[in-house]
Order: sequence, then structure tokens, then C-alpha cells
Amino acid sequence: MSKLQPVLFNIGWNACINCGACVAICPQEAGFVSPFDTIAVDRPCDIACLLCEQICPVETITHVPVERLNGSAVAVDR
Amino acid sequence: MPQTDYDLIIIGAGPAGSTTARFAATAGLKVLMVDKRQELGAPIQCSGAISGHGLASAGIDADPEFIHEAIYGFAIYDEHGNRKVHDYRQLKADEYGPQAGKKPLGYVVDRRRFDRYLMTQAERAGVDVWLKTEGLGYRPQEDGTCTVSLRRYNEAIHLRTRVIVGADGLQSQVGKWAGLQTHIKITELAGCLQFIVDGVETEGLLEIVTGHEWAPGGYAWVFPKGHGYAEIGLGVIATMTDKPARWHLDKFIKRSFFRDRFANCRILEVQGGGVPLAAPLRTQYADNMILVGDAARHVNPITGGGLHTAISGGKIAADFLVGHLGDGLPVQGGALEAYQLAWLAELGDKMWKLYGIKTDIFHNMNIGERDRLLYATMSDYFSPTSEFKKI
Repeated sequence: MSKLQPVLFNIGWNACINCGACVAICPQEAGFVSPFDTIAVDRPCDIACLLCEQICPVETITHVPVERLNGSAVAVDR
Repeated sequence: MPQTDYDLIIIGAGPAGSTTARFAATAGLKVLMVDKRQELGAPIQCSGAISGHGLASAGIDADPEFIHEAIYGFAIYDEHGNRKVHDYRQLKADEYGPQAGKKPLGYVVDRRRFDRYLMTQAERAGVDVWLKTEGLGYRPQEDGTCTVSLRRYNEAIHLRTRVIVGADGLQSQVGKWAGLQTHIKITELAGCLQFIVDGVETEGLLEIVTGHEWAPGGYAWVFPKGHGYAEIGLGVIATMTDKPARWHLDKFIKRSFFRDRFANCRILEVQGGGVPLAAPLRTQYADNMILVGDAARHVNPITGGGLHTAISGGKIAADFLVGHLGDGLPVQGGALEAYQLAWLAELGDKMWKLYGIKTDIFHNMNIGERDRLLYATMSDYFSPTSEFKKI
């Protein structure tokens, strides 16, 4: 488990070009995606490597830290 | 063999999936190809360049339905704007040209039309194609087959097949389902952005601009796009710049040696994507599963071109599967490694060699030397004497 604090990603959809680069670079397991072919934005990422933010050609991915409870991040209801 | 719904279920109807599907169905396999999108090819993440022999390698006619513009050669620029031109209309004038009896060297295609055309050819060969259908997972069974879970217009569907083919692109989930090591390094995935523009003259050449100044870790390009349009784009490696591709493209348009040429350009479309400048996946198969195209990282590590490698690889995959399934051979317990070996022999070994050349260039930490190496390598790569003209 990463020592980093889990994060919840936010995508500025106005600038997003649905290029999929964030999913392509993402080391998460299968399924960490949104219905719009981006990384997931409805649950925390406990790897928090932020490579998706680095690769984004239009710099439209940001994040907020979320708390980790009982050894796993608190997931929002899906 | 136990009964199945299909011999092959292919996830993803891009060029690799459709080519695999077409050759497999033509040889008599029962094939289902699914794609989650409502319209193929979009959003466009590709410049659309493919060579004539690339199309020919997969038996595809250069149909006006999908061709934006014919290409006759290359112009490679260094960071100052000096250029090396390989114009095949002059280098091999009896073979290449716009005149009757001569042919183009390659094409820039419309990915929406190209992907739809290849899907149509697959359907005409007998492939069932379901759009708006997403792959959710698959599970190998003890009888040697596997079950594939799909969702089609919100309806859950479970089918039995012999082999699932992951043709679901760089963002491939199929490879991850199988637990393959599919992660790509940040130093080997170029963040790319391109504009389709009006008001920029081109000359039937693919123009490639090298130099850390313009595209750190990658290169910039100007391609003819038909109807008087052009595409201007570039790819950068995130670890070699603290700015996104969009910033670099803006700089390339406004401040490079092409600023006068681009001064009146008007943007008609914005496209982007991640382009791997990487080695092929080391493992491209699992029980009941193989990967093709971008999902297997069948992309030229020097140019980032993936169309030729996708359709050539698709044919290799189909030829293998037709023989393998036709002989009633197992598809579990490592048996599908034979696919990867066939692919390496026909295409992959050359790609590994290109990866070595590319790696040598970008491991050089001296920017000036690296720029010179990249310019020289690109200039040589596109020359008529290059040993790599086949991919």
C-alpha cells in the first residue's frame, strides 16, 4: 500500500478532449475508469502517483486528498 | 471441443480488431466483435498516416471512402528549420506520383471513416458486430473455453467462446483482466495534441519536426489532411517538461520557424491522445486470451505510428487463430504463446530493434547531442535505403 494519502480526482470536463491518455498511464487495476473514458472520479485513488495529471495534454486533471480509515480509503457510494 | 456461442469474441472494433475479425471470419471462424462506442474512430486520437504497403499487408484497398490525402514522401526538420526531404516523386519517379500508372507512397486517412470501413469489411465477411456493447470481464472454464461478460444497451449478456481478443486500445482493460503487466512508464507515453487547421499549405509530404525546443521527448508534425486542410500536432514526454502538450503546441505555432506559415491558421478540430514510444508488451497472451493493436502496444516506438502495425498484427493474429483452432489445439496453459512467437517473427523483432534505437537516443542526457541523433535517425528512417521501410 502506498504511503501517500489517497486522492479523489476531479476532471475539468470543459477542457477534456477524451483522449484516454490518463487511463493509458494509470497503474490502477482494471475498471478504474469513468463512463467518459477517463480515470475514475467517483472513488478515491489510493496509489496517488498523479501520473494522469502529468500526462494530460490539456492539464485538466486535479485532485483533493481524502482520509484513509481502517487502512483503506473511504469510498463514496456508487 | 465443447460447444461455444462463438469461436472468437473481439473486444474493440478499431483497425486491429476489425482486421483480426475479417481474416478470421473469411477463414470460417464464427466471430463476434463488440465496441462500446456508438460511432467508431471517434474521438480521434491519431494523425491517420499509413503507408501504401501497410494497407496492402492486410489486403485493404486504398478506398476514397476513408482517404483524406495521398502522401508522396517526408520532410524531416531539425530544431532550426533545416530540412532533409525524401520526396519519392523524385527519388523513384517511375513508381510514385499522382499520374496514371503511378501510386502514392501512403495516405492520411479519416479515422472515423477508416474504422467504419474496416468494420464493414469484417461484417461482409460474416462477423457479427455489436456497437454500444462493453466488455466487462472474462473467465476461463475447465472445459477449455471461457465465458465473456458483456453489457449491451444496459443489458447483461454472458457468452461462451474459445478465445477472447483484446483489441481495446492503449487503455486496454482486457489485458488487465488477465493480470498481465500492461503498465507503461511515464517516460514512454507521449502526451499528444493536434489541431486540424485551415490556412496552412502542404506539399504532399509528412513533415516531422525534431528538437527538444519544440517537442521534448517526442516530435512535432505537419501533415496534409485533404481539402486544403492540414494537421499540426506534437507529442511530449511529461518527465522532460513541466508544461502540458497544449502549451508546447501553442509555442510551436506561434514561436517556431513556422510562425509565418501558421500565422493565418484557423483551428477546425482538436484531437489528442497518449502515444506509446515504448516496447511491445512482453506478454501478449493468457489463458483463452490474446491482445492485438495498441492493447498489445503494437506501435512503432520511433514514429508512434500504430495503424500499419495494428492491421498487420491483426492479420498475424487471425492467421494464427485460424490454424490453431482449426487444429483443435488447446488455448489454455500457455498454449497461446505461439501467437506471440509468430508475431515476433513477422513484426515484433523489428519493433524491439527500433525500441533499442529510440532508447539510445533518449537516454542521452545532452540535449544538443540528442537533438542531432533524433534528427539523423528520423532522416535515415524515412529514406529509401532504410532497413525499416517495412514497418
